[in-house]
Amino acid sequence: MFETRSRRARLGLTLLTAVLVIPFVIPLFTMVHGSLQGSGWANYLAVIRLNGFWLYFRNSIIISVGTIALVYILTMTASFGFSKLRIRSKEVYFWLMMGALTMPEVVLLAPLVILASQSGTAGTYWAVIIPLVALQIPFTVLLTRSYVDGIPDALFEAARIDGAGTWRQFWNVLLPLAKPMAVAIIVLVLINSWNSYLLPLVLLGQSEGHMVVTQLPNSFKTQYTDDQTKILAGAVLAALPEIIAYIALQRHFERGMAAGAIK
Amino acid sequence: MATSVTAAPNKPPIPRRDGGASGRRHQRTPAGLRWILPAFVVCVGLIYFCIGYSGYISVLPWNWRPPRQETVEGFDSYLRAFHSPLFWTSLEHTLVFFLAAFVVQCVMGIIFAALLHSRVYGGTIFKVLIFVPVVIAPAIMAPVHRRVFAVDGPINWILQQLGLIHVTDLGNRVWTEWVSWLLIHLGMGNVTPNWIQPSTSLWVIIAVQIWSSIGMAFILFYAAMGQIDPDLLEAARIDGAGNIRVLVSMVVPNMKPTILALAILNAITALKLFDFPYLITAGGPAHSSEFLGTYIYAELFGVSRHYGYAAALSILLLVLALGVSIVMSVTARERRPVPDIKGRRG
Repeated sequence: MFETRSRRARLGLTLLTAVLVIPFVIPLFTMVHGSLQGSGWANYLAVIRLNGFWLYFRNSIIISVGTIALVYILTMTASFGFSKLRIRSKEVYFWLMMGALTMPEVVLLAPLVILASQSGTAGTYWAVIIPLVALQIPFTVLLTRSYVDGIPDALFEAARIDGAGTWRQFWNVLLPLAKPMAVAIIVLVLINSWNSYLLPLVLLGQSEGHMVVTQLPNSFKTQYTDDQTKILAGAVLAALPEIIAYIALQRHFERGMAAGAIK
Repeated sequence: MATSVTAAPNKPPIPRRDGGASGRRHQRTPAGLRWILPAFVVCVGLIYFCIGYSGYISVLPWNWRPPRQETVEGFDSYLRAFHSPLFWTSLEHTLVFFLAAFVVQCVMGIIFAALLHSRVYGGTIFKVLIFVPVVIAPAIMAPVHRRVFAVDGPINWILQQLGLIHVTDLGNRVWTEWVSWLLIHLGMGNVTPNWIQPSTSLWVIIAVQIWSSIGMAFILFYAAMGQIDPDLLEAARIDGAGNIRVLVSMVVPNMKPTILALAILNAITALKLFDFPYLITAGGPAHSSEFLGTYIYAELFGVSRHYGYAAALSILLLVLALGVSIVMSVTARERRPVPDIKGRRG
């Protein structure tokens, strides 16, 4: 964008970028630096030795995998239906679904708490997974439907002429062709479910073994009477899987998140 | 609504607006209600049930709690909300948050995108550093930010190194003379180098949110800038336009769809905001960083537990969110024909 004719101009721009990036590094540096204060690496040991340390990760993994799987299946079938099948007044269904597109989760809080406690699902994974899925679906369906709209009908007709039923068309034509969408959906839903804080906090509970990764750093606030170094060590450990996943799958993350931002 | 900004996954292989199922073909298309039903039941069923239930709770007495049986009392809770200064304060914070976050995101997003399109050294490293905050959960970063803005935290340390604050004999941190003179004359005499306080806590939340969302703006602008024809910029340069001129008059006008998308994204974020204010300042001190999310949460799970009142607040928030939703679908229609400079040249 900016012209860089000389080496010096290029170095100057690099320097400018580096200066502007400093505010981004401060929290990351604080996190790592602070976690090594006091008893040094022993802070990490203390976090790992925390009762039920692995349960934080296990719970987050179960919730994320469950949410991703459900969202993927429901999004693909719904997009297939909306885009390629005959449904009377389908746009009404579609816009009803899109009405939930910008739903703040806090709006659902009171009813969900009452619903979960009355149905006896409070404290189970379902109590978290189902609302998470419900909040993601409008979004992923909107994205996927417009993608599936772009797949020519002729492909499905050809399959039909060859004797493929609706199910075969879905399985053998739509799913392979919509694979690029799958990556975007997985990244988007993974971030949103792994990073969710409010719904697990309220619906899964705050007792030992019922917490998710996002609650890990904050759980030290009471347990160690606000021991900053262990809070920060907890934050590093909780953030690490995401940072590694992002660096490993950089392009997919950037594309998936960008696809989610522009609906 | 794939604009040209998004990369591959949104670009259908062969663009066709028509979703099929039209005219003669209509008869042969298989029925598909059962294909959309599962998603429809989970999503629309649950969410609309919850909204209906919230609506019902909101007309119960404002201090209603779940096990208690109560009769419908009417719009008492809504009147209470409209008369509550806290409700308006939360709304005002939401608006300030939206405006500040949006403007900074656009300006910094465009600057970063332009810089990283300019052959700087180590571009990937900068890209990762800018985008990593988007990926990490706000709830995980919240305690870190609390540390960053702590009285003895890095922000104050930097200000100290710059000579803006000094430590008194008692160990307190105070502004150096000329800074406090400046602040008093700017009408900000009550700002002390202690950031989680009523006059600054809202700006801490805004700064933290900006930190965690510039990466998103950057990626969107970066993708959009990649679509501008380099020949066009070259032509402008031959006509004698400088770097800044090219950026302001050629690049920024092409960013309009992205800016619009960011405005909507930020409006939604502002309405949904919960994790950062709840975990960094808990909406305080003295409600100075209260947002609708933290307000509703406090009414639901605080000492008082006013389910009826919280439900009324939720319905009001919902109306605002729906407003954004409508704006979004209207502008989405306008946004669709994004000028693709490269393609149109022929």
